[in-house]
Amino acid sequence: MIDIAERPKHAVSLAALFTAFLIVSLCGFGGGIVWARRIAVERRRWITDRDFADIVSLCQFMPGPNIVGIAVCIGARMRGVLGTIAAISGFLIIPWATGLSLGLLYLEHAHLPILRNILGGIAATAAGLLIATGIRLLMPHRRRPAALLFAALAFGLITFAGLPLLAVLFSLVPLSIALASIENARAR
Amino acid sequence: MSSPNAPIALTAHLLLVSSISFGGFPTVLPDVRNFVVATHGWMTDQEFANLFAMAQSIPGPNMILMMSFVGWKVWGLPGAVASAFATFGPPCTIYFASYRLWDRFRDAPWQQIVRLGLVPVVMGLVIASGTVMARAADTGWRTAALTIAAAMFMLVTRLNPMWMLVMGGVLGGLGLL
Repeated sequence: MIDIAERPKHAVSLAALFTAFLIVSLCGFGGGIVWARRIAVERRRWITDRDFADIVSLCQFMPGPNIVGIAVCIGARMRGVLGTIAAISGFLIIPWATGLSLGLLYLEHAHLPILRNILGGIAATAAGLLIATGIRLLMPHRRRPAALLFAALAFGLITFAGLPLLAVLFSLVPLSIALASIENARAR
Repeated sequence: MSSPNAPIALTAHLLLVSSISFGGFPTVLPDVRNFVVATHGWMTDQEFANLFAMAQSIPGPNMILMMSFVGWKVWGLPGAVASAFATFGPPCTIYFASYRLWDRFRDAPWQQIVRLGLVPVVMGLVIASGTVMARAADTGWRTAALTIAAAMFMLVTRLNPMWMLVMGGVLGGLGLL
């Protein structure tokens, strides 16, 4: 377990994890992954794009909201159990309390056109941000034709064929891993 | 209108579905709807749909919030808290255990191969969910242009995405979209 010693686990405070995921939660219109990457990779430089892509991929295979999984994993990576608790508390407590109170108010005014228009503009922007985050995380693999092929297949099967997520995951991932292992054997 | 056992039934059901909600909570939403609306009649279809639309449009842990509103409806604040825990508790535990396991083997050769195969597929899925969101949000060429502009800005600049979201909201609020 040499690699554990190499990691600057003590460098990140629990408060920093709490705040980071509080921001991820409050900013996360539509896709918290945009903000989790922005903060953990770009701003704080806690982890690399490679590690972040790993965590996102791992979370795809587990039940539950992926963004909660990202908070759990980054918290665990930086500070173990306490880090996880800090990240999850930041992600949940304040946004949950505000959301619950605002929600009741909002339901009464959901019919107002201006509110609907504002939310429409935000939703269109959020979609673009999510697409760009996926492209960025794919960039480290851009020189591998097999990687681009499988990314395109996954994209197409969901977007154009409308297949369920699990069907796509469990049909493409084994093939993709098999091809990667052939690629890997050749490279040696 | 709801029996004394209602909160327990709801919490137990949420504990179960959250443990099997592969691909995120939206995949088990139809099941929750059946349980809450059809089986128990705790709310109407319309109320359930309104809760979903609201949860989608406010920031924060939206599916957890949505289940909390269902819990609120059944048993007030304690119901809301119980539903929240039932929704995020099991997945958190599973995430933590599997991350520990994954991390232990992070330098193993097999994991490098799994990573090479897995990551591109998942990123294709992320881009696809952005596109699916865009399909719902882009009602004309103006909103479509906004989606593309946001993606471009995100790719080529390090501008804080919040500015783009604010701009999207302002353009929408002014009725320009």
